[in-house]
Amino acid sequence: MAPLGWKEKLFQHYLAWVCRPARLKKHLRSQLPPRRRPVPVDRRRIRTAAIQLELKLFKGPFDYVDEMHRRTREAADRGAQLVVFPEYNNLPLFGMLPGIEKMEEASRDKDTGKEAAAESSREEIILPDLYRYMSPVVKPLVHTVFSSLSAAYGLYIMAGSYILADNGEIVNRSFLYGPSGELVGNQDKVHLLPVEADWQVKRGSSFPVFETPLGRLAMPVCMDATYYETFRILEYSGAEIALLPIANLQEYNFWLALRGIWPRVQECPLFGVKGALVGSVAGFTFTGRAGIFAPLEITPNRDGVLAEVEPFDREAMVVADLDLKALEQLRSNHPWRDTNPALYRKYFPQIYRPGGRDMGTV
Amino acid sequence: MQVAALSMAGINLESIDRYRADLSNLLKSCGADLVVLPAYSALVLGLGSGAFMPGPDMAGTLYMFSAANEDWNNLFFELHGDLAGKHKIFLAAGTTVEKEAGCFYHSAYCFNPAGELCCRQRQTHLTRVERELDFSRGEELHIFKLQGPKSDGLEAGLVVGNDVRHPEVSRIFALRGADLLLHSGALAAGFNCWTQAAGMWAQVQQNQFWAVEAQLSGNIAGTLFGAASAVIGPCEITPGQSGYLASGYPLSPVVTAALNEKDRQSIIKDYPLLQMLNRQAYNDLLAF
Repeated sequence: MAPLGWKEKLFQHYLAWVCRPARLKKHLRSQLPPRRRPVPVDRRRIRTAAIQLELKLFKGPFDYVDEMHRRTREAADRGAQLVVFPEYNNLPLFGMLPGIEKMEEASRDKDTGKEAAAESSREEIILPDLYRYMSPVVKPLVHTVFSSLSAAYGLYIMAGSYILADNGEIVNRSFLYGPSGELVGNQDKVHLLPVEADWQVKRGSSFPVFETPLGRLAMPVCMDATYYETFRILEYSGAEIALLPIANLQEYNFWLALRGIWPRVQECPLFGVKGALVGSVAGFTFTGRAGIFAPLEITPNRDGVLAEVEPFDREAMVVADLDLKALEQLRSNHPWRDTNPALYRKYFPQIYRPGGRDMGTV
Repeated sequence: MQVAALSMAGINLESIDRYRADLSNLLKSCGADLVVLPAYSALVLGLGSGAFMPGPDMAGTLYMFSAANEDWNNLFFELHGDLAGKHKIFLAAGTTVEKEAGCFYHSAYCFNPAGELCCRQRQTHLTRVERELDFSRGEELHIFKLQGPKSDGLEAGLVVGNDVRHPEVSRIFALRGADLLLHSGALAAGFNCWTQAAGMWAQVQQNQFWAVEAQLSGNIAGTLFGAASAVIGPCEITPGQSGYLASGYPLSPVVTAALNEKDRQSIIKDYPLLQMLNRQAYNDLLAF
């Protein structure tokens, strides 16, 4: 990232000032209900909400706070104990940047054939630099908002994932907050999109599992669900519910969208909850369908889906009850699941050794 | 390369000769360079031709078949080797149960265009029923080269029954260089399209290889089998991005498709999924 000029530094200070935790808390205090007690936990019915967030650029932090609050309140009103937000949940905050319209203009120019103008504008704005620039503002803002919301509603909230600077490097990090407003933990995305690799996002190196009264929770990020390894490791670690934030930059297609968490919860029996970012901003179109998934054997229609939103391009939410006892019973007497340690000992050290070949006979 | 998956529907099983004639006609008419038969093909033929009697149920029948099928297996191999040679194709002949050193294995066999056995693959992950029958697990996964003018030099592996639900199998194949997996399967008839998608379709999407999936259509001791055979590729290079190059109905005798290897290489180049593996994070998988 190029050194910041005085204008950029000054504006960053301004952003930090308007987004300061005390100001946001004061705003939230006027909006939030009296603190709700967490719903008693019944392992046969963990009510879970998957949020589909429509991407909008907000001019000020209160707009963002109000939107996150509105969506959380909707989930809480439907009895949710666990709420899942999508990936790249800091994108709406880019609306606070005065030059951001240029990206939208460039996108429109491209659509209308003014390619050269579009390219020229794009070159001036480098996305990873924006993430770095916003990072000192976003981190405390996210903590303040979701800590306050989870405490007020007595919920566990997986706040989605955020591209942030951390010790000079960029990470794509998801956060989990508990019903006392505490940060339960975070997870850095382990498997990157090629574009994130180009941005030099630092990959996570582990898959933590968080013991909570709602079950053992994990929160791999988007592309992590493309790889069975993620979910197998989570299964071995005892995870019962995987909370997955996604933001798919592609035209919607049923089959493309089926890839990811749905096949993973079939291979490695656990519940999967997908929060999705959708909508178009600045030439980027995200699609998806938030949903709640389970092994075929414990879904009523034997289709692996407990609930899934209908639209793929606008705001929505679904709620479903997760039966952790049923999952436990399935795992303990599974009709087809097996392991073969001898096979794994023979091949895994070769195929999974760091620096190992991606293709070709070993 | 033209490939085909056969369900065994429409093939007369009443005698070895009728079976040979019907299968031969089907192999000729489908025009494929590589053909895959479903799981339990040897057992189904044995029951249909009267060489074996059904037991009280599927498990019991499998048990009885396993106990005394050595000669039958030899006949079965000879028959399919002959057909592969006659039609100059690769013929994955489905599966049988083989016995070695007192252990039973559910195994698939493939014959090359010279009629020779080119791969034998034991199932490596067992169902609960197979464990109860005291079957043993194979401990190797074999890759063989498809030699021939239309094969594009592809490397192939055989996937047996329940192995398709275990992604370790497909990943090992993919990272050792397999381009094409030939799956012999058998799923109970009924609402099973999602079971199938959770199997080979899912494996193709996360490994970007081709797959030919032959699903049994038939009845074994009262258990009705009837899933859809299919030819599967990465979504991006298939009609409607569905991942299916061809898919039949449970009673379709055969599905065929042409594999365009250039397309597959192109999508791997554009979106190199296996290059994005993060091996540093997989230590927990190495703990066995």
